[in-house]
Amino acid sequence: MSILKLEPRRGRMIIHAFGRKYDWIIEPRYWRNPIIGVITLLALPLLMYFFATGVFGIRPVALLSALIFANILAMIGTPLVLQIIGTGRVSFGPHFFVAVGGYTAALLSKNYGFSPALTLPASFFMGALIGLGLSPITIISRGIYFVLITLLLPFILWELTYWRSDVFGAETGIPGVPLLIFTGDVVLDIMIYYYVSIAMVLILLFFTDRVMRSRYGFMMGVINEDEEVALSYGIDVAKIKVITFTLTSGAIAVAGWFLAHYQGSFTGPVWLQPSFLILILLTTTLGGKGAVYGVIASAYFIATLREVTRTQFGEMSVVVLFIILLILLYILPEGFWGLYRKRRYREYVPSIRIRRA
Amino acid sequence: MLEVSNLTKRFGGVIAVNEVSFEVEKGEIIGLIGPNGAGKSTLVNLISGFYLPDSGKIRFLGEDITKKKMHERAKMGIARTFQNPRLISNMTAIMNVMYAVLGSERGSKLSLVEAYGEAAYYLDIFDMLKKRDVLVADLPIYELRLLELARALALKPKILLIDEAMAGLNPAEAERVSKLINRIREEFDLTIIWIEHVLKIIMRSVERILVMHYGKLIADDTPEKVVRMPEVVEAYIGEEVV
Ligand SMILES: Nc1ncnc2c1ncn2[C@@H]1O[C@H](COP(=O)(O)OP(=O)(O)OP(=O)(O)O)[C@@H](O)[C@H]1O
Ligand SMILES: [Mg+2]
Repeated sequence: MSILKLEPRRGRMIIHAFGRKYDWIIEPRYWRNPIIGVITLLALPLLMYFFATGVFGIRPVALLSALIFANILAMIGTPLVLQIIGTGRVSFGPHFFVAVGGYTAALLSKNYGFSPALTLPASFFMGALIGLGLSPITIISRGIYFVLITLLLPFILWELTYWRSDVFGAETGIPGVPLLIFTGDVVLDIMIYYYVSIAMVLILLFFTDRVMRSRYGFMMGVINEDEEVALSYGIDVAKIKVITFTLTSGAIAVAGWFLAHYQGSFTGPVWLQPSFLILILLTTTLGGKGAVYGVIASAYFIATLREVTRTQFGEMSVVVLFIILLILLYILPEGFWGLYRKRRYREYVPSIRIRRA
Repeated sequence: MLEVSNLTKRFGGVIAVNEVSFEVEKGEIIGLIGPNGAGKSTLVNLISGFYLPDSGKIRFLGEDITKKKMHERAKMGIARTFQNPRLISNMTAIMNVMYAVLGSERGSKLSLVEAYGEAAYYLDIFDMLKKRDVLVADLPIYELRLLELARALALKPKILLIDEAMAGLNPAEAERVSKLINRIREEFDLTIIWIEHVLKIIMRSVERILVMHYGKLIADDTPEKVVRMPEVVEAYIGEEVV
């Protein structure tokens, strides 16, 4: 009899050693995702640098801007996925909250001299406050009504920016917003912006992941699947929806804060456009339903693809971009996450195994 | 424990439940029978809060719950099963029990892992533990019925409303389900209202039977007496029972 005997099983490893039996549960999803994901994200600029500049002839600065745009999409997409799960509804107005955050940051810094450190919480609270005020729509409306209500919000704000162009500056926007980073060296600045934005994405991802693995994340998943079942089994659906909508609206507004302090101005009509909404929705959908990690992957994919098509196809670039994305939607109904997971059900909880050794 | 008085529910022109009144004492197990469309499921839906009544009152544990929301009633200890198993098919068996554990009154303090452990316990009662990681979409009807019961039990109910636990099962499976229901009733000190079409089995298990017909409660008595009432025989029960 050998001293050490390995007995691999599906999802577990039983080790007989020195007359004792050890039962290890193998749960790869727990460690593989975060670590590999974070490493990839941090190494991506380098990889992209060689690939994009070498193969497609994109300038480094343009590439970095594209990656920052990817992070902005991820900053919006990550909380939006949480919102979609926790309210059981797809909002068509996430860019409204981006604009709320952007205008809050721009107006407070221009009119009252707030620093970025102060406009950050202000943007979050403004987004959350408006989200709280609007949250009843997640309870009383569904289907096309919810879509229309959320779709109307950005249009109303859009009109408002023209009507009160003395305050919002219409398509010229609000200039003179203090920059987050200013060293005098353009490339260095943009590198720092990239790492600031990626830090924001990682922080968001950390919180989202915590929520998704908590009892609340699980109950949000139940709401997403069947509200009436959730109610029948004691889940306070209305409360969870209101909290989810409020907090995710605040988080989406923070993306607007970043935009304002990254560009040194905030121009609502640029971000309130339907084409920006479509990019956001494509990011969440291509990421995979109910998947947070997939959103980051698709944000990077879409932002890079947009840059590549822009340099390769000139005037046709937008058409080409959307056609490629359309084809991908068709062949990947479960999104990027579905490719990785290859399972039919959405994983609202990590697979915890019971040990019965 | 449960007191229903003059409960009425209309759907357009149909009076699904018509001035129904009855009382349930703690620990009772009551059969609810009646032909298709008699209003049995609607009555369950009214008690659980799925529908609000047009008129009438429901009292539970001495409290008027007529206007209470469904999730509040669930937390108070009213659990129900669905006639057509209504589980979340995108989730595994154990996940479908976990949310009921989390939704129960004491579940508000449990973490996900603790809820998992408790859900495993309820699955085990119904001999479903080995199926815990199977997607609900892949389970046969017998196991769906068991899962419905496990999920309802996970809510730690004081009263359990069973809307057909045996429909679609073969006689052997029905027999097993009936035994399980009797077992959980004793172990968990439950009060049960049990709707069923398979009369022979339910007659043996219950102490009292309510008969509904066209939304009205037409009988409320012991099984022996109910099967002899002429209006019941005429309205519902065929030769097969007696
Ligand atoms: N949501 C609804 N909308 C409209 N009518 C309904 C609804 N639910 C039930 N009904 C009607 O109410 C009446 C009672 O239905 P219910 O489902 O309560 O009967 P049941 O006794 O459970 O019948 P079964 O034995 O077939 O389950 C029927 O006429 C039915 O068509
Ligand atoms: Mg019914």
